[in-house]
Amino acid sequence: MFEGPIQDLIDELSRLPGIGPKSAQRLAFYMVKAPAQDARRLAEAIVAAKEGVRFCRDCFSVSEGELCRICRDPGRDPEVICVVEESKDQAAVEKAGVIKGRYHVLGGAISPLEGIGPDDLRVQELLDRVGRNGVREVILATNPNLEGNATAMYVAALLKPLGVRVTRLASGLPVGGDLEYADEVTLGQALEGRREM
Amino acid sequence: MRLSWIEIRDFRNYHEASLQVPPGLIVVIGPNAQGKTNLLEAMYYLCTLESPRVSSDLPLVRSVTFSPGGGGQPPASLSPGPSSAFLRGEAESSGGRALIEVEVRGGGQNRVQVNRSPVRRKRDLRRHVRAVFCGPDDLRIVQGEPDDRRRFIDECVRTLWPAKEGTASAYERALRQRNRLLKDWPGPAAPPGLEGWDAELVGHGAALTSVRAGAVAEIAGRASQEFQRLSGQTAEALGVEYRPSVEPAGTETLEAAFRRRLDERSADELIRRTTLVGPHRDDLGLRVQGLTARGFASHGEAWGAALSLRLALGRAVASELGEDPVVFLDDPFSALDPERRRRLAAGLGGRGQVLIAIPDESQLPEETATVWCVREGQVAAA
Ligand SMILES: [Zn+2]
Repeated sequence: MFEGPIQDLIDELSRLPGIGPKSAQRLAFYMVKAPAQDARRLAEAIVAAKEGVRFCRDCFSVSEGELCRICRDPGRDPEVICVVEESKDQAAVEKAGVIKGRYHVLGGAISPLEGIGPDDLRVQELLDRVGRNGVREVILATNPNLEGNATAMYVAALLKPLGVRVTRLASGLPVGGDLEYADEVTLGQALEGRREM
Repeated sequence: MRLSWIEIRDFRNYHEASLQVPPGLIVVIGPNAQGKTNLLEAMYYLCTLESPRVSSDLPLVRSVTFSPGGGGQPPASLSPGPSSAFLRGEAESSGGRALIEVEVRGGGQNRVQVNRSPVRRKRDLRRHVRAVFCGPDDLRIVQGEPDDRRRFIDECVRTLWPAKEGTASAYERALRQRNRLLKDWPGPAAPPGLEGWDAELVGHGAALTSVRAGAVAEIAGRASQEFQRLSGQTAEALGVEYRPSVEPAGTETLEAAFRRRLDERSADELIRRTTLVGPHRDDLGLRVQGLTARGFASHGEAWGAALSLRLALGRAVASELGEDPVVFLDDPFSALDPERRRRLAAGLGGRGQVLIAIPDESQLPEETATVWCVREGQVAAA
């Protein structure tokens, strides 16, 4: 334990995901030794991101404006929606270059152990979108792990009565892994080879 | 395969020790509480990154030492103990040599390197060395709860087939998710989304059931042979039988059987708010002379059964790999009558590198190649 502001900084940093107490300490000491303008720039970037970030009205991906770049793009097929857990998964899928349609970010996956149920995700918003916009296909690209699979199954059961085609990523992705760690080629193949649910 | 040397620092009661480990049968002799079990444990840990005795690593790090004062010495003081234990050593197998280095941090993640490259998963180490440990705690396999026997089966699975290690943990997580959903859902009907967890439970559960069945099939006949050799009578058989919670009827697949059983118990599950079907309810049937070992076996028979199961695992691994694993037997003779003791001792040769810990020389097997004496955390060759 250190005294005063440096310990406060360590405490704040160690609350971040993936940062243990040792890393927090190293980052904190790096920051206090760095020039004052560097520290100020970092602090301002954090505040600006927090205040400036918005979520797309339609797909709930991070966005600069009311609608994100993809939802604004008239060249993207509005009748195909690719459902992902988080914005970072959308970025990974987008990089694979297979999806010509739009996205829907659920905001996580169902996990009873973490207290996350269907009502904590943007499931109703997805159903509304599908009912409203004459959607042809919904691709469920939740992570290929327990929680992602269970979420896909839950969402699929709600979508099918709406008469929409529901597909799921083909197997072949590292089991239990996250989409963000899959390479573009493998992820592209899993999307191309998607199967009916 | 074998260990060729080991260095130990700040592990249990060992401050520092460095040992060449010859092939064949090595006998570790020492009175109780001097550190002979700790020595076997350190070597087993180096091979598997697991303690056969404790699930937490905290007790493995040498604890705070109390130094008494007096006689012109500084006053009694508590010196802070080390924060990590270190194990280094080399394993030799047909695949080559592997330098294994482990920092056991009491809290936190261990640091493990094989041939100077970091290793993240236990199963990556099993490519280089496998080990089997048998100690007094193993009586639980025979006399304990089904949970103890399931743990033994899963240990057989990952020792035989390291790549299958994730099967049990994936099922465990699906089970915990499903149980939490059942428990927390306030309504009288099935919670929304249960089907998704059913699918995960059935998928991972069927995989676990079949891999457990495979492991028990590898063990059963060999354990019976070991038990007969120990008793010296072909009539004294040890029956080993996998009793899965889910068994297919007729041509039914395992998955279909699992689904059927879940359907049958669904009303009960909603009342009891927990998962009532699946490999978390498996058991291993053990019978001596046709009677359930748990209730009827004498202490000596129970120990003989536990020992036979462990030795059978060693034989099964040897048949899988084409070379013997390193075998550790902690106090194998004490619970046996003199006849069984003699027969066990005579049968310890020809199993590759075997390390046994015994309290005194009176039990020294004829096949012994090396003797180490342990006293107060020091090892000396005899
Ligand atoms: Zn959008």
